[in-house]
Amino acid sequence: MEGGSRAEGRNPNQLRPFSCTGNPLHRAHGSARWAQGGTIVLAAVYGPKPGTRKGENPEKASIEVVWKPKTGQIGRQEREYETTLKRTLQSICLLTVHPNTTTSVVLQVVGDDGSLLPCAINASCAALAFAGIPMKHLAVAIGCGVMDNGAVILDTNTAEEQQAKSFAHLVFPNSRKSVDSKDPTQKDEESERGLISCITHGAMSEDDYFNCIERGVAASSKISDFMRKTLQKEVSGDA
Amino acid sequence: MAMEHLRWRPTVNERDFIERALQSDLRVDGRHSFDFRKLKITFGREDGSSEVQLGETHVMGYVTAQLVQPYRDRPNEGTLAIFTEFSPMADPAFEPGRPGESAIELGRVIDRGLRESRAVDMESLCVVAGKHVWSVRVDLHILDNGGNLIDAANIAALAALSTFRRPECTVGGDDGQQVTVHDPEVRDPLPLTIHHMPIAVTFAYFGEGNIVVLDPTYKEEAVMGGRMTATVNSNGDVCAIQKAGGEGVMSSVIMQCLRIASVKAADITSKIKKAVDSYTTEKALKKVKRLPTSVPQKISVTDVIMEDKGDGELEKQTVDVQQISKDPPTIVKVSSHEDAQPMTESSNAEVNTSSAVAAGESDESQEIGSPKSLKDAIKPKHKRKKKSDKS
Repeated sequence: MEGGSRAEGRNPNQLRPFSCTGNPLHRAHGSARWAQGGTIVLAAVYGPKPGTRKGENPEKASIEVVWKPKTGQIGRQEREYETTLKRTLQSICLLTVHPNTTTSVVLQVVGDDGSLLPCAINASCAALAFAGIPMKHLAVAIGCGVMDNGAVILDTNTAEEQQAKSFAHLVFPNSRKSVDSKDPTQKDEESERGLISCITHGAMSEDDYFNCIERGVAASSKISDFMRKTLQKEVSGDA
Repeated sequence: MAMEHLRWRPTVNERDFIERALQSDLRVDGRHSFDFRKLKITFGREDGSSEVQLGETHVMGYVTAQLVQPYRDRPNEGTLAIFTEFSPMADPAFEPGRPGESAIELGRVIDRGLRESRAVDMESLCVVAGKHVWSVRVDLHILDNGGNLIDAANIAALAALSTFRRPECTVGGDDGQQVTVHDPEVRDPLPLTIHHMPIAVTFAYFGEGNIVVLDPTYKEEAVMGGRMTATVNSNGDVCAIQKAGGEGVMSSVIMQCLRIASVKAADITSKIKKAVDSYTTEKALKKVKRLPTSVPQKISVTDVIMEDKGDGELEKQTVDVQQISKDPPTIVKVSSHEDAQPMTESSNAEVNTSSAVAAGESDESQEIGSPKSLKDAIKPKHKRKKKSDKS
């Protein structure tokens, strides 16, 4: 990158334009189409269905994830995405509400321009909310890249992911909305709420990693505001 | 875990209601017997990516191409392969993994209609006879099963093939066998040659073959006695007919259906052509301008589906300055990367390296792409090519 600026003229902390459409599909119980720039993922949720698969704990609900790439055979990369998503979603859903059931989440990649896994996590979280699956909190995901000069950029696209020294996909719980708005002391509380998932590619120093997390937390509050607004609009639209 | 109980079965009342209404020439959604549902065709950012909505049925088509060795008995023809995915998101009864019989049937009907009727010109896909030809792969993803998947998937395949652009390649080198695949930023990619558009039209039969309707919804499909799919084109040629079992129908009824099908095919062909043309001209305009003012246009193309439901996109622009950002003007960069990625093992090592080099180079050129953009707009060669592309 020349001049420290990103290819599309974004500054390092700028996210791509988001959009989320609620329930674009008619047969699915809940669905969401989440777009971050050129990366678009369509998530559909069916459930809870009776019975669990062999090997799953029947005392809890189980989540089944199917990842469909845009083209090509299903390989290891898709299986890895499915496992990551399954574990992330299992940690945010209330599994004891409907024991011995399976909720299936199906993802279809419509466009891929970097930060595909965070986009998919956001889409599936929104789809679960639209389907009415009980959850503890939402999962908000963001991709961060560490460039060669040590700069940390948010919401990487494909070109940036390839050029970066390393990049990480981080998933945070959504930020709480305080009753008194814009309280600056909330910041410490948020960073203590922790990290749900983190997948890194490439080697990064500890400082870079903590830097990424810090930026990620800040971005997650923006994304959770957006998600909250979208969900509220969808709910008020139905009613 | 048995999935049979998940397949939607109509209740006795529903079945009775649908059949009785049809006897009085009424359909459950208020259509006439031979009316298609509302058709909406949209395109994605990349070339060769289409989404079709026919009523409640939603299908996505995606075309990619790769250089491979041709079949031995056809050394100077490219290949066209159609892969259909009945995604589990479309219907709770669809299971991931092995395709069921309806998925295979759908794939075969579309394949016959497109490939065997020679709708797409295969000989123009030959690069070096006997060694390198383009293999075009069409992936059809069924996203929402609202009934009549064959017709919707066919339209998605045609729309995607019409907007697909394959990279230009030249043969050269010492032995005249070296193939260089050009990056889309360097040389404009070429469209496929499509001779005619075979349109699939599906009829459903009820009540011992007396009652015929067009474009059944999934409830009507569950209740129908038999179905027939006729693939015809606007010239009046019958490309394929599929009637697999079901109730017996009189031949006079079949002839009537074929006549109706050719009328409908002309109508749908014009709709597809209109959508493809408006997309192509919009893309050409964007390429010439490359100014931030093109951004509002771009949002309307990709997010047409989002307009009726919540448009959070317009909302978010007022939330925070941080989030407002120009969408990248270099949209084409994604397509070059996708096309160059090998999906299956390519047998020819030479070709692999040249296309990999092209992909590697493309990244660098894309980064330098933005300062180059104004120069590109002024280049007369590009403008002339744009105009010829439009026609």
